[in-house]
Amino acid sequence: MSNQYEHIKSSGGIDEYRLKSNDLRVLMLQDNSTPVATFMVTYHVGSRNEAIGYTGSTHLLEHLMFKGSRNFNKEQGTAIWDELQSIGAQINATTWNDRTNYFEVVPSEHIEKAISIEADRMRFSFLRDEDRQPEMTVVRNEYERGENSPFDVLDKNIWATAYQAHPYHHSTIGWRSDIENVSTERLKEFYDVYYWPNNATATIIGDFEKDTTLSLIAKYFGEHEKSGHEIPSVYTEEPEQQGPRRVVVKRAGQSGITAIAHKSPPGLNSDTYAIQVLGKILCDGKSSRLYKKTVDKGLATSLFMYDFPFKDNGLFITYAFLTPGTENQTVEDIILNEYDDIVNSGVDESEILRAVAQIRATVAFSRDGSYAVASALNEAIAIGDWKFYTTFLDKIKLVTAEDVKRVAQKYLNEDQSTIGWFIPKNSDK
Amino acid sequence: MKFKESVIIDEPVKGLSTFVIPTKVRDVITISGSMLGGMLFSNNHKISSLTSSMLDKGTQKKTKHEISNILESMGAEISFISSNRHINFTAHCLKSDIDTVVELIAEQLREPAFPENELDILKKRMIANLEISKDDTKKQALINFLRNIYPDDHHNSRSTISDSINHIELVKTKDLNIFHNNSFGLGSLKVAAAGDISSDLLNGLIKTNFDGWKQQKIKQLSNGSLANKRMKSENNIEIKDKTSSDVYIGQTVELSEHNKDYLSLMMGIYILGGNFSARLMQTVRDEQGLTYGIGSTIAGCGYGINGHWHTWGTFSPKLVEQGINSTIIEIDKWYKNGITQKELNAKKTTLNGLYQVSLDTTGGLIDKILTNAEKGRDIKYLDNYTNLINTLDNDNINKVINKYIDPQKFTTTIAGSDV
Repeated sequence: MSNQYEHIKSSGGIDEYRLKSNDLRVLMLQDNSTPVATFMVTYHVGSRNEAIGYTGSTHLLEHLMFKGSRNFNKEQGTAIWDELQSIGAQINATTWNDRTNYFEVVPSEHIEKAISIEADRMRFSFLRDEDRQPEMTVVRNEYERGENSPFDVLDKNIWATAYQAHPYHHSTIGWRSDIENVSTERLKEFYDVYYWPNNATATIIGDFEKDTTLSLIAKYFGEHEKSGHEIPSVYTEEPEQQGPRRVVVKRAGQSGITAIAHKSPPGLNSDTYAIQVLGKILCDGKSSRLYKKTVDKGLATSLFMYDFPFKDNGLFITYAFLTPGTENQTVEDIILNEYDDIVNSGVDESEILRAVAQIRATVAFSRDGSYAVASALNEAIAIGDWKFYTTFLDKIKLVTAEDVKRVAQKYLNEDQSTIGWFIPKNSDK
Repeated sequence: MKFKESVIIDEPVKGLSTFVIPTKVRDVITISGSMLGGMLFSNNHKISSLTSSMLDKGTQKKTKHEISNILESMGAEISFISSNRHINFTAHCLKSDIDTVVELIAEQLREPAFPENELDILKKRMIANLEISKDDTKKQALINFLRNIYPDDHHNSRSTISDSINHIELVKTKDLNIFHNNSFGLGSLKVAAAGDISSDLLNGLIKTNFDGWKQQKIKQLSNGSLANKRMKSENNIEIKDKTSSDVYIGQTVELSEHNKDYLSLMMGIYILGGNFSARLMQTVRDEQGLTYGIGSTIAGCGYGINGHWHTWGTFSPKLVEQGINSTIIEIDKWYKNGITQKELNAKKTTLNGLYQVSLDTTGGLIDKILTNAEKGRDIKYLDNYTNLINTLDNDNINKVINKYIDPQKFTTTIAGSDV
């Protein structure tokens, strides 16, 4: 290994290094079984770093990052999309609450191309106003597409109701008026605050040669200095919720949605594992408790729950998509009764075993392909410890029935709840 | 990697072919299979859909809860679905559970129970999903586009939502039993597996669980009707409270995948709108900012059937007209001036690279192998595909575009609010 790096730690076959010159973190997982590799840069900035007036900026900035940089731009005939798609790369970027990531899945002989592009746009992206204007309407159409979906609209309303002070209040796409009006200068400021090697993690998974790749990363990213300022942290905390909340969305549609959300702890909290098992017991699969009581009874077409581990507190949300004619209240009562049953009586050992088996398989499937690994690792990087990915299953295996009952009692608390209904205004077009 | 050398093909049971590609992924196995018996094989197309969806609702030996308990206790999944021509199944499991999973697949395919109460619940759920889809601008635009270019009994057409609901309501358990009795069995069954699995292991399990099953009594599919005569038309669907509209523009093309011009036309359409660096995304999205997504593709040309090509894009209601105009301008330029050698060279390397990248997952491998087999192609076709792409000629592509596309006769369908 080059002396340009310091080895930080290893876990689950993944090695972490620090590029000494600028504190860029590098994660590597080598698997030469197919001639494909995924290169990804995760910036530790997401919509939690935004505030009123520039919600959606992280995402809009992510779009502008494809518009050109010093060495990769249309003017030179080296546009980012052209350079990468012409070699058959799968390329994209995503923004979420706690992170922004840019990735390329490439035939492994083209790894250098992906590295050079990501390094170039880390500090030399153009971010021109003439690019922001047409891209704003692109992003606005992305927002509009989301607004077409009753689920998306209800989900945004639930987060906005559950979180009042904390920036998880607004969705990553942002509010429409902010998307339309945020200035290019504000986006540049955002870029200059957060897009630095010491606020990023570069990850490479798949078919590569370690020393060569480390050298390439040092060659291209090494030209950047670390930021001259401290990366600002978010200090806004959500005040304690002191009672149940409700939100109702009414508009044209065909059938209703009932959603029940409860505040959940930050992803790195030790309760996260028992909460994940609780979610599986309630909603995952045809033998889960709520599937039998809603979908099997013809009351819902489908249901699911999510509790994505985030950097800060999250939401444990169950969604039920109702069959026409089913009342929101009916399904709400069923879900809450089931919650009460677990709070009062706990769960069976057989339910724990089933949930752990499901998670064990999910973890194994998440290693099928270099992008799948990178994608899962990306979320662990976002919450502050990539080892969350490599140690997740071991910690899940330690969850007991008593743990599940305890977290149900602690978090499925009425005063911490936000209940959302989507009510279709009429069934005609 | 050469498919010819990597995929082990066998017929462990007469009428059931296996395709196994061991990969280095640890512990994980993906299995997909199919047999003729899709929606086109019954007059009421929903009989096939309901039959396949009822396969996990209980067998002669197990209730649906016993099935789901077995699978979920292993973290495994099995799903069944009907496509136009095939009944398809897919399973994901850990290597340690493969014997149980193959046994269950066989039991569900061979001995379904079709309980009446479960059919009632399933019908209610499917109808509810269809009702919900009335609000889906993309689905509504596509259905209406296809119904405009094809007559009802064309293989590529789609039923209206109302007709689909009516068809579902008519289905009884006896229809499922008759369909299962006639259409399920050995004959056209193909099973592909990838991941941490050997050919010997899969073939042994297939012999144990499928040997002795009856042969399919599949009827010959009719060719269906010819496409509607091409003509310029516009058809709009109003859906309330939508902030984005979906737009399809296109027409039928008189060629199938068997035609020597197919790959040339496919490449021409890919250059127009196959990915982000194609013309439509570069102009209508990247330069003009009119849409989040727009693209073009050729579709419905498999199995010797002539298909269609279309562009699809989403636009804010106020930008729909401008978006359509810009799209048409780009299509006109493409049609009149053709593609360039530079574009062709770039897209050749794109498709070659994408092919390589698609091999990164067991799912990607299996899709390619099974689809190729369903179409009756030798496995060598997969190895030869990149050669076929690399020999495409710029002049010929431009001739083919002019031969099969007629910009004067596009069908346009918009679904959204205030359209």
